[in-house]
Amino acid sequence: MRYPFFAVLFLAAAAGLAQPARPAPPPAVNGCIECHTVLDDPRITPPAKLFADDVHAKAGFTCVFCHGGDARQESQEDAHDPKKGFIGKPRPQQIPQLCGKCHSDPALMKQYDPSQRVDQLSEYQTSGHGKALARGDQTVAQCASCHGAHGIQPVKDSRSPVSPTKVAQTCNHCHGDAALMAAHKLPSDPYAKWSRSVHYRARVERADLSAPTCNSCHGNHGAAPPQVGSVTNVCGTCHVTFADQFKLSPHWEAFKELGLPGCVTCHENHEIVKPSEAFLAEGDQGKCSSCHEAGSPGARAAAAMRTDLVGLDGEIQQASRLVDRATEAGMEVSKVRFDLVAASNALTKARSQIHLFRPSAVHEAVAEGLKVARKAAAGGQARLKERDFRQRGLFVSLGLILLTIVALVVKIRERGPGPEEPGDPGNRREPS
Amino acid sequence: MESAADGHGPGAITRRSWASWFLGTSLGATLFAFLYPVLNYLVPPESSEPSLSEFELDLKASDVAPASGRIVPIGGKPVLLLKNAAGELSALTATCTHLDCTVQYRAERSDVWCACHNGTYDLKGRNVSGPPPRPLTPLEVYVRGEKIVIKRA
Amino acid sequence: MSGAKRSSSSVPEPSAAGESRLRAWARDRLGWDDLAHMAEKKRVPVHRYTLFYYLGGMALFLFLVQVATGILLLLYYRPSSAEAFESVQYVMADVPFGWLIRSIHSWGANLFVGVVFAHLISVFFLKAYRAPREMTWVSGGVLLFLALGFGFSGYLLPWNTLAFFATKVGTDVPAQIPGIGHLLSRILRGGSDVTGATLSRFYGIHVAILPAITTLILGAHLLLVQRHGMSVPRSVEGKTRRTISFVPDFLMRDMVGWLAAVGLLAALAAFFPWELGVKADPFAPAPAGIRPEWYFLWMFQGLKYLPSKIAGIPGETLGVFFFGALAAAVVAVPWLDRRGKRGIAVAAIVILALAAVLTVLALLPVPSAGPK
Repeated sequence: MRYPFFAVLFLAAAAGLAQPARPAPPPAVNGCIECHTVLDDPRITPPAKLFADDVHAKAGFTCVFCHGGDARQESQEDAHDPKKGFIGKPRPQQIPQLCGKCHSDPALMKQYDPSQRVDQLSEYQTSGHGKALARGDQTVAQCASCHGAHGIQPVKDSRSPVSPTKVAQTCNHCHGDAALMAAHKLPSDPYAKWSRSVHYRARVERADLSAPTCNSCHGNHGAAPPQVGSVTNVCGTCHVTFADQFKLSPHWEAFKELGLPGCVTCHENHEIVKPSEAFLAEGDQGKCSSCHEAGSPGARAAAAMRTDLVGLDGEIQQASRLVDRATEAGMEVSKVRFDLVAASNALTKARSQIHLFRPSAVHEAVAEGLKVARKAAAGGQARLKERDFRQRGLFVSLGLILLTIVALVVKIRERGPGPEEPGDPGNRREPS
Repeated sequence: MESAADGHGPGAITRRSWASWFLGTSLGATLFAFLYPVLNYLVPPESSEPSLSEFELDLKASDVAPASGRIVPIGGKPVLLLKNAAGELSALTATCTHLDCTVQYRAERSDVWCACHNGTYDLKGRNVSGPPPRPLTPLEVYVRGEKIVIKRA
Repeated sequence: MSGAKRSSSSVPEPSAAGESRLRAWARDRLGWDDLAHMAEKKRVPVHRYTLFYYLGGMALFLFLVQVATGILLLLYYRPSSAEAFESVQYVMADVPFGWLIRSIHSWGANLFVGVVFAHLISVFFLKAYRAPREMTWVSGGVLLFLALGFGFSGYLLPWNTLAFFATKVGTDVPAQIPGIGHLLSRILRGGSDVTGATLSRFYGIHVAILPAITTLILGAHLLLVQRHGMSVPRSVEGKTRRTISFVPDFLMRDMVGWLAAVGLLAALAAFFPWELGVKADPFAPAPAGIRPEWYFLWMFQGLKYLPSKIAGIPGETLGVFFFGALAAAVVAVPWLDRRGKRGIAVAAIVILALAAVLTVLALLPVPSAGPK
């Protein structure tokens, strides 16, 4: 009776040993969790409880894969044995290497998620955070700061602090802390500024995830601000036409020489607001006047572009008002609205031409737009004229009707009241 | 204003016929005012069926070059009319699904592009890269005689 | 009056003084002497309620306006779900004076139904349904239901969102009748849902079936009115009073009203053109604020207040039965009225007041569910 049992046991053990050498699925018992949850200590129980939901736990990794030690032991000394690799709570400097032990190993990662990158550690080492950590600064971000330590979720999961909808708030956790930032000589308002930008509105109010958040411009693991020379490239990944034009403009070389940060010079880095023709004007909102003195060729160019654009905008708004009035009057305006859309497109194009910083380019685009805007205005006017025609026609008809009514009344009165007759008993039954 | 005619005396006949004349004339004029719009209504307008389910373009099939695209207005909205290298016509709604800019055909890449935020679609309207969240809607195109006809979705 | 002898001579003889040759020619060939005689003989009593006599003629005139504008619209309208909306848009935008014809038709429908109701209510309170005019009343009741049928079927034809969903809700109502309800709803809808098949069916009902039935019933109604003459309310019976001839005196007065109505419709068309809205999309969710035309609002709102079950019977079914009973009561008025008692008038006032309150409640803006 015993021999078959031991034979099976032996075969099972052999099968277990015959597995390829890799971190294996869980041992039958995870003693760490059992002890740590039972002990109910605020320092050691929460991580144990959180880990149940962790993506690593679901893939079969247990506490010992990061913390070392022996999960099968019952006593604390045996379980926490440094000879078995136990390191306890890792120090911040240890964490990137700890995570990188698996996450930088392509062969390993392929067994769990082939499409996941394996260069996070090497990127991190180039980042502002990575360099500071290497110098001994324990207060900067490392893997656990953003991804969490024990309840780690995949980035796609909305519970993850680095999911697309949450990443900015996670960065803000440190980068919005005034005292911490002051210690690193960094501003603590990027999130506040970004939350006033058009990108924030697009992302949060319209749920448009194509709009940039922190990692879109700064990178993920290699997070660092784009260098002055690369700002235009970074913005140009989405705003292609503007970047192309800017690079053809005189400002491209000039800004490089002056060490000015490309697009950010006029548009800010975090608080990117909706631009308007006011950028081209004198005064607070004017951007050109900070370099180009009043009366200089640059200032005159700015003024010329501004005049053109404001002119086209005005014509479009006027045409739009005409069309709205026609719509309210019940007229059919879909063809005219197409012209309005075309005119607005021309205005957008003209505005993008600003980045060539050549008034003639803007002027050309504006001229095209004016043609279409005037066509739209003419269409609106025609519809309103038609409405007036209808109302005039109505008044003529009403006049004729009134005249006829008067004629009828005259005739009625002329014929006078009818003769008096004795009242009949009413409703007499007629022979059927 | 006039007292009831009592039908006696030579003046009475004049008043009666004046009132009848007045009535007849104004009634006639009013009837004409009713008939004028009705008769005009019966005459069909120039564009026999522009707003109905199909649009006939003022464009001959031969006017469109192969491997090209252009924007045409259909019912007030922009539509991208495409002709591939083999000469087949197709059409897509041309309003970008991101922020409503009008897209354009890019000959050098044989795709459809939105200049506003670098959104790209393939020639069937599928959004392949950049911000656009949804594809463009394809519309049926066919040629009737020489003219191009685009059917509403 | 006409003493013309039936002559086989080819030369028509002018008989009455001043009769033109053309008129005599027509008279000889069409033989309309009896009709002319009846028309000339008809007299209308003048008393304080005479004003209400005009309502019947006004309803008839407005019906004819609907027929005329409807026929004109037929020349351009296309009754398929793919083209209906666009064809109405075409009429509004491109066809010369199409906006006028269509708006007159849409406003006219509402005015027509309103005048029909006013005519019915005034006839009711003047008790003109008393013997021997019971069948005139019954035919009138049927005409009212036909008018409502015209309104309901015509409403769908532009195939816009409002019409589509209002029809969906409206054709759900007959489905509440136990047993045959679902079959009835299927017959109405041309299927289990409101689709292009419903549009075809409603079109056929609106331009062929209802007009045919209406012609017959209306003809009977008018014949009966001619036969019995104008009813005189009890309070004026027996007294000496004036009468005026129907032709031309009453007709001229009628015409004043008709011209005013046409003027009103033209002004409404010019200043408040009838909306077209957005083409119906059966897959889109129903927008907020769907409701039928004003003359159905009391039913629409009433059904909302019924609890889902009363004594085990679904509330809506009871509601439908109530409407049916009301319709039957309307037709049966001449027999329900007990001579000398005011019961029926009081009941009518209560029902009318209730209907008015429900209509007002239905028109109140719906408070929005969430923050704006």
